[in-house]
Amino acid sequence: AVWASVEFLGFLCSLGLGGLSVCLGCFVCLVFFEKMAALNEKKTCSQRMENFKRFVWNPDTGQLMGRTLINWVWISLYYVAFYIVMTGLFSLAIYSLMRTLNPYTPDYQDRLKSPGVTLRPDVYGEGGLEIYYNASDKNSWEKYVTTLHKFLSAYNTTAQHANINCTSEKYFFQKSFLGPNKTKYSCKFTSDMLENCSGLANSTFGFPEGQPCLIIKMNRIINFLPGNGTAPRVSCTAQHDDFSPLELQYYPVNGTFNLHYFPYYGKKAQPTYSNPLVAVKFLNITRNAEVTVVCRVIGTGITSDNPHDPYEGKVEFKMRIQD
Amino acid sequence: MHIIALTILRYESTLKIQGYRLWTIKSLCPREEREKSKVPGFKYEVCIGLTSARAAEILARDGPNALTPPKSTPEIIKFLKQMVGGFSILLWVGALLCWIAFGIQVAQGVASAFDNLYLGVVLALVVILTGIFAYYQEAKSTNIMASFSKMIPQQALVIRDGEKREVSAEQLVVGDMVEIKGGDRIPADIRLIFAQGCKVDNSSLTGESEPQSRSCDFTHENPLETKNIAFYSTTCLEGTATGMVINTGDQTIIGRIASLASGVGNEKTPIAIEIEHFVHIVAGVAVSIGVLFFIIAVSMKYKVLDSIIFLIGIIVANVPEGLLATVTVSLSLTAKRMAKKNCLVKNLEAVETLGSTSIICSDKTGTLTQNRMTVAHLWFDDQIYSADTSEEQTTQSFDQSSQSWAALSKVVTLCNRAEFKPGQENVPIMKRVVVGDASETALLKFAEVILGDVMGIRKRNRKLAEIPFNSTNKFQLSIHETEDPNDKRFLMVMKGAPERILERCSTIMINGEEQPLDRERAEAFQTAYMELGGLGERVLGFCHLYLPEDEFPDTYPFDTDSMNFPTSNLCFVGLLSMIDPPRSTVPDAVSKCRSAGIKVIMVTGDHPITAKAIAKSVGIISANSETVEDIAKRLNVPVEQVNKEDARAAVINGMELKDMTTEQLDEILINHSEIVFARTSPQQKLIIVEGCQRQDAVVAVTGDGVNDSPALKKADIGIAMGIAGSDAAKNAADMILLDDNFASIVTGVEEGRLIFDNLKKTIAYTLTKNIAELCPFLIYIIASVPLPIGTITILFIDLGTDIIPSVALAYEKAESDIMNRRPRHKKKDRLVNEQLAVYSYLQIGIIQSIGAFLAYFTVYAEQGWLPNTLLGLRVNWEDDYYNDIEDSYGQEWTRYQRTYLQWTGYTAFFVSITIQQVADLIIRKTRRNSIFQQGLLRNKVIWVGIVSQIAIALILSYGLGSVTALNFTPLRVQYWFVAMPYAILIWVYDEIRKLFIRQYPGSWWDKNMYY
Repeated sequence: AVWASVEFLGFLCSLGLGGLSVCLGCFVCLVFFEKMAALNEKKTCSQRMENFKRFVWNPDTGQLMGRTLINWVWISLYYVAFYIVMTGLFSLAIYSLMRTLNPYTPDYQDRLKSPGVTLRPDVYGEGGLEIYYNASDKNSWEKYVTTLHKFLSAYNTTAQHANINCTSEKYFFQKSFLGPNKTKYSCKFTSDMLENCSGLANSTFGFPEGQPCLIIKMNRIINFLPGNGTAPRVSCTAQHDDFSPLELQYYPVNGTFNLHYFPYYGKKAQPTYSNPLVAVKFLNITRNAEVTVVCRVIGTGITSDNPHDPYEGKVEFKMRIQD
Repeated sequence: MHIIALTILRYESTLKIQGYRLWTIKSLCPREEREKSKVPGFKYEVCIGLTSARAAEILARDGPNALTPPKSTPEIIKFLKQMVGGFSILLWVGALLCWIAFGIQVAQGVASAFDNLYLGVVLALVVILTGIFAYYQEAKSTNIMASFSKMIPQQALVIRDGEKREVSAEQLVVGDMVEIKGGDRIPADIRLIFAQGCKVDNSSLTGESEPQSRSCDFTHENPLETKNIAFYSTTCLEGTATGMVINTGDQTIIGRIASLASGVGNEKTPIAIEIEHFVHIVAGVAVSIGVLFFIIAVSMKYKVLDSIIFLIGIIVANVPEGLLATVTVSLSLTAKRMAKKNCLVKNLEAVETLGSTSIICSDKTGTLTQNRMTVAHLWFDDQIYSADTSEEQTTQSFDQSSQSWAALSKVVTLCNRAEFKPGQENVPIMKRVVVGDASETALLKFAEVILGDVMGIRKRNRKLAEIPFNSTNKFQLSIHETEDPNDKRFLMVMKGAPERILERCSTIMINGEEQPLDRERAEAFQTAYMELGGLGERVLGFCHLYLPEDEFPDTYPFDTDSMNFPTSNLCFVGLLSMIDPPRSTVPDAVSKCRSAGIKVIMVTGDHPITAKAIAKSVGIISANSETVEDIAKRLNVPVEQVNKEDARAAVINGMELKDMTTEQLDEILINHSEIVFARTSPQQKLIIVEGCQRQDAVVAVTGDGVNDSPALKKADIGIAMGIAGSDAAKNAADMILLDDNFASIVTGVEEGRLIFDNLKKTIAYTLTKNIAELCPFLIYIIASVPLPIGTITILFIDLGTDIIPSVALAYEKAESDIMNRRPRHKKKDRLVNEQLAVYSYLQIGIIQSIGAFLAYFTVYAEQGWLPNTLLGLRVNWEDDYYNDIEDSYGQEWTRYQRTYLQWTGYTAFFVSITIQQVADLIIRKTRRNSIFQQGLLRNKVIWVGIVSQIAIALILSYGLGSVTALNFTPLRVQYWFVAMPYAILIWVYDEIRKLFIRQYPGSWWDKNMYY
């Protein structure tokens, strides 16, 4: 099981051991500071050194740092025992915590009420997401193309072969685990669904033409049902309408996320699930000017007006295409 | 016009005073100020005083006749000191690092840069606010003093321009002729040129409790001893005198002692040393862990900027920001409690000093004694009777049936010039104000207590003639009519030095019968006289004579100058001895000090015999201990042959002390447990205090006079008397005893010891959670998990939830009889020792951290982030551009969603620390006893603390959870209980610790686990 992973037990052990060694170190340090602070009296330097030497090793009493050797052994043993018990108690507590957890869905999702929206290619500059390139300079846009290809490689037919073809336009509810290895089925989303923006026909995603394809992705939230029966769709607008209104082409048609990709049942139930995507092709971007574009996912239950979270329900980016 | 003969001119060459500014009369009264006497036949020149112009000139040169107040540190310096003391430096460094980080981040254009700016501002605010608070507390306690220094402008009668006029004493200049009379305060140092029956009270200067007579005679080289100088700020008790001002202001003897006092450096108080020690430990830990982890972070390839931010977190987590303020509050609470018990604390830190006191150097007069002469013993009918010397006497219980007593009481009543001031009928006798010297006052009160209406008796026995006491004949005599109308004889009564009185007697009264004074009787008298004298008492002899009616008829003209009446062959009546008796509460207090391991040393200007007698009666010298001299007397061997170590007690004379080397003094202080220093001078008092301090003792010194102020200043804690104390003493002292009672010191000691114990508890309580605040940063750096608790949140614990509970520990009652153990050793019994630090940091602190981490992991796990996912997540987690990080369940989170979860984690961590701090608070109530022995509910303030702690946490989580800047979120109810088992574990573990400590005292466990 996830929660009993060897990795975590290893972490606990190393935490215990690390803690122990740090604490013993601290112990010595504390004793040391105690002494050093006590030495803060009006004495000459040589007296201080002498006192300090006596503190480190006192030949008369056989004390090393204020304790005899046997005393150090005892105190170390005590702390070893103490930390073993403490680590044990902590491991036990974490173990029982894990036992109470549902492996399929988290107990609470109140911190994740509305999905975030991200953009591909995700290249950030000073002011956030920036798609700046020179149409005639291959080097300036090649990175975007590579990013998109890389991103879409998870959506090629081989990667998606484990998923089933879904045709229903409704939520794909699955009560029981009918998939292989006690899982639930995930619907196929292949890159060819993005048609002109799939990178198959046009492997440069329209970048050199000045009509780039960008991909909008909505974050996964377990059991989240977007749109209340209507498929949520992507809508992109220019922030400032100084330029001619944006001419856009959405893929799949209308820029919708098909409802059969929802609800998501989680990594354990749907190990091969991949997010549905919407590609946006910008057809008439004014050259040599910066355009700020906001792409929202519109649908019931998806909010995009959280003042603190710029990526909730929407994604904002800047574009500038030069000749 | 007042004129004074310049007869004093002949003294001018003899007024040579060591180190004392020499003013000859000639130079003071220059030729133009003298004129030929207008009195016919008077051949001397007369002095008409200074002219106003000349006086103004001198005033301009010498300045006003007033003591310059001790130089006080400017307020701004005091304030700045608070700003940089203690942990402030560390916090300033933290704030500075914050601003540096902010600067760099702004330059890099990081969005969250302003967090660092705010954090820096908050840290600076914390320093400034705690500084202001400490400053305010200090100022408040200084203000208590202001009430003492209200000076009533004093007037002096001065001769200027040949006229007597009243001027303000401040206007006096050298050369002014001033007149003083009984009741006046001497306005400057004055060389007397005319005195009549003048007596001054020099007790505030020299400690001599008896009035000193003043005359024009130059009697001693030492200005303090010579009779013709009256000193500034002493009082003239009776008589009149005229004198010339020879020194004013700071040049006066008093002024010089005052400057001696201000020259004595103010030692750091023990608690200040302890707090410094503690600050060093904490700062050492903070800096070294900070630097260590800075290096670790850099070598783990963290950016330097990030490492700096970690460093800030570690510093903030390690420094108990609220602790010093808490300590101040605890001390001032104790100071308030002590003020209620008549110990007014000027310097807050002195509260604890009293608790660690191991030697008290107490003044005798006024502190141990009642500061009034009281009749202690009587001898008549060949027998010694003891009188009641308590403060509130209303009757005397000795046998009063004898006729001899009747005769003696008559002599006592009549041969007395002291009188009650009128209008005091309702005042208890012992409290009435009397005009007259101390012995006469004692006799008057004694007679009033036994006979009642002394003034009436005197009226009925009209006084016909009187010879007042003078130092040549050493007796006082008066002749009265008797109140018996049938008895026409006159009664002559006489009192005086016993041997002088006895010389004049031929008979002695035994059981009301006059009997011849034969050798046997005389020897009996000698024995009684020696015995009473040996008790350190001042003995007076009384005799009378009924003048035969035929020789002294009604109209006989008594003449005191020619003494035309018999003054020998009188009838001896009895002896009375007087002493300034010890206060009734003192013996008990001294024995309490003894059992508390505090050595009480008496230091007095008085005679060794009196000092020893008082020391014996209050228990400073216990009943069965002997001095070297006593042993020598008992064994009948010379003093040199006595083994000094056999003598527990020692009475050291000031003269002996003068010749002693420091080693000899040390030897005395070490070898004798009961010491009395008699006839000591102010400088010697200072030497004694220094001697005690060389023994590593914490020395408390009590005193009231100006002469005590250097010693008061030098002492670890100077205690001035509130009633009898002079302003100089009060200024030099750290504490003022409002009732002048030694017993109040003992209650002060108790409070002081209690606060030391309780501060230990407070610090242990506060230090514990530092680990729980520090661990998150360490784990954050090493395991790269999302930050479990924020810096701001830590400040909310340190300055929010923890403040009231840690103050509440100051109200904790003592665990055992703290007055039955030895005072703490200044260098060994530290406030924060190894055990306390180790137990708080490495045991309880660790349990707390584990409990808090469990809550942290629980919150994250239940939201979808399992612990193993969290490991190493930090970089992605904090990446502003990574808005679809997958959690353990495959959900994707934006940056803000993660941040909000992180704040929930902060809140859970915070709440868990708070919950465990409740347990910590409860276990810190005791260090040795079980909580159940101490009583869970006895200290109500603790519960106020617990309630406040939880209430603040509730408000922060639910009330202010929506304020983004505070990083709190409303927390699910169950998360409040995650750390509960660990809170219980803390309690149980500590109970086990205490159980073993009680069960196996002295064991390995006791040594390592008891703090």
